Amino acid sequence: MTDAGARLPALAASSIPTVTVDRMVEVDRLAIEEYGITLLQMMEQAGSHLAEVARLELGGDLRGRSVVVAVGPGNNGGGGLVAARHLMNRGAGVRVVLARPALRMTDADRHQLATLLAMGMSCCVATYDLSDEELEAALAKADLVVDAVLGYRAEGAPHGEVERLIGFIVRSGRPVLSLDVPSGLNPDTGETPGWAISAQATLTLALPKPGLLEGPGVERSGRLYLGDIGLPDVLYHRLGIEVGRPFAGSRIVALDRTT
Amino acid sequence: MTAPGQSRSLSEKLGLLGEVQLFAGLSEADIEAIGHATTMTRCVRGQQILSPDDPSDRIHIIKKGRVRVYRMTPDGKQLTLDIYEKGTILGDMSLLGQDRLPEAYAEAIGDGVICTITPDELRRLIERYPIIGVNVIRHLSKRLQAAERELEAMAYQRVDQRLARKLLDLAQRFGVSSERGTVIEARLTQQELAEMIGTTRETLAHTLADFRRRGFLETVHHQVVIRDAERLAEVAASDDL
Repeated sequence: MTDAGARLPALAASSIPTVTVDRMVEVDRLAIEEYGITLLQMMEQAGSHLAEVARLELGGDLRGRSVVVAVGPGNNGGGGLVAARHLMNRGAGVRVVLARPALRMTDADRHQLATLLAMGMSCCVATYDLSDEELEAALAKADLVVDAVLGYRAEGAPHGEVERLIGFIVRSGRPVLSLDVPSGLNPDTGETPGWAISAQATLTLALPKPGLLEGPGVERSGRLYLGDIGLPDVLYHRLGIEVGRPFAGSRIVALDRTT
Repeated sequence: MTAPGQSRSLSEKLGLLGEVQLFAGLSEADIEAIGHATTMTRCVRGQQILSPDDPSDRIHIIKKGRVRVYRMTPDGKQLTLDIYEKGTILGDMSLLGQDRLPEAYAEAIGDGVICTITPDELRRLIERYPIIGVNVIRHLSKRLQAAERELEAMAYQRVDQRLARKLLDLAQRFGVSSERGTVIEARLTQQELAEMIGTTRETLAHTLADFRRRGFLETVHHQVVIRDAERLAEVAASDDL
């Protein structure tokens, strides 16, 4: 399992610019407002890549593998819900655990959730629909936990229902694949003001976040992958960011922090 | 990708609907009075308040306590849709232009008090507290806007046409000739312009940017300057989708 990243083209992390939270907010805004790339389009890319990285982390075949997808109330959670659909389509046994009730999630998340329910997928809310023992048991038998609880825009220490779910994942000790950043980790600094996931691997999106490349975030985020969500060069040019062609060989690359 | 219109009906079908703020703007005293004028039921933890089999013409308002609304998933388990606090409405919303949450159940999380209103009682309440009527209108208007946005998304290719038509219309009514072109002397935010043509601000910004690139117009200090009315008229008149 440790050579999962070796099956994808590797890219020196130093060869690609990082993007802070403030800049990434601007990247997302431009994508939607100026280039008409919708949230659902980006979410689909993220979730599809996430399922592919899950396959690699699970040794190459999803059939018969058990995956718990932990989903937060923001748009990062929507990426997890898309991944759940792809994982199920590709043969994994998937269980979706939401941090918060369905109506407290974003519109895009609810769109994805409606699809999963129509597919007959098992979806429940951690705090209300499962006892502590049931949640522990579900996590204990997972071959992989997908962490789509908090994304790059979450601030400060996790709290309430979100913190509770993160706490259960951490205590389960199961291997975790995080989407964009390990939940609870500050993307700019890598610091963890409260409960935080320690991931076996992290799929970060568009451009790497500085907190994943140095300091405490390096260990927290594990193997680091970068996924293409289809943002055009011209968008980055407008912000003065020179990205190059990181996805020339593959739409997901393994980032090498050592070179 | 799934058509947005389809996603809406699917979401609705699965009961992922929001709540209604029927009593916003009413004083505590008024809400208290309403509580007294209607049927109130005390409930205990775990007590079921609503099920898909219930008569469909009642509105339930949580007066005290918290209620968990859930639906059954295909594997026979519960999926919590929301936790409703004091003041929230449950039940049939057909009087408010909203279907009941299909397949939804509701149960009390702790001890609470539920106030139940029949359609006739609601009509009487609106007569007595007109603000409730205003809240109903506000809610319906939001629903309508949302529906229009969905329809617009389905007919995305026609947004440029609608925007071109609207701009020409505004130019005719508020236009002032200048060296740069026809200045529309109406300070409109992108949100206002988007609402006029029934689209989202994001789509409007995208379409305006497209018009700018094609040299049809400029935007200066929230004002639109039409540079090429002829080509704009061509877009407005085009029939190809």
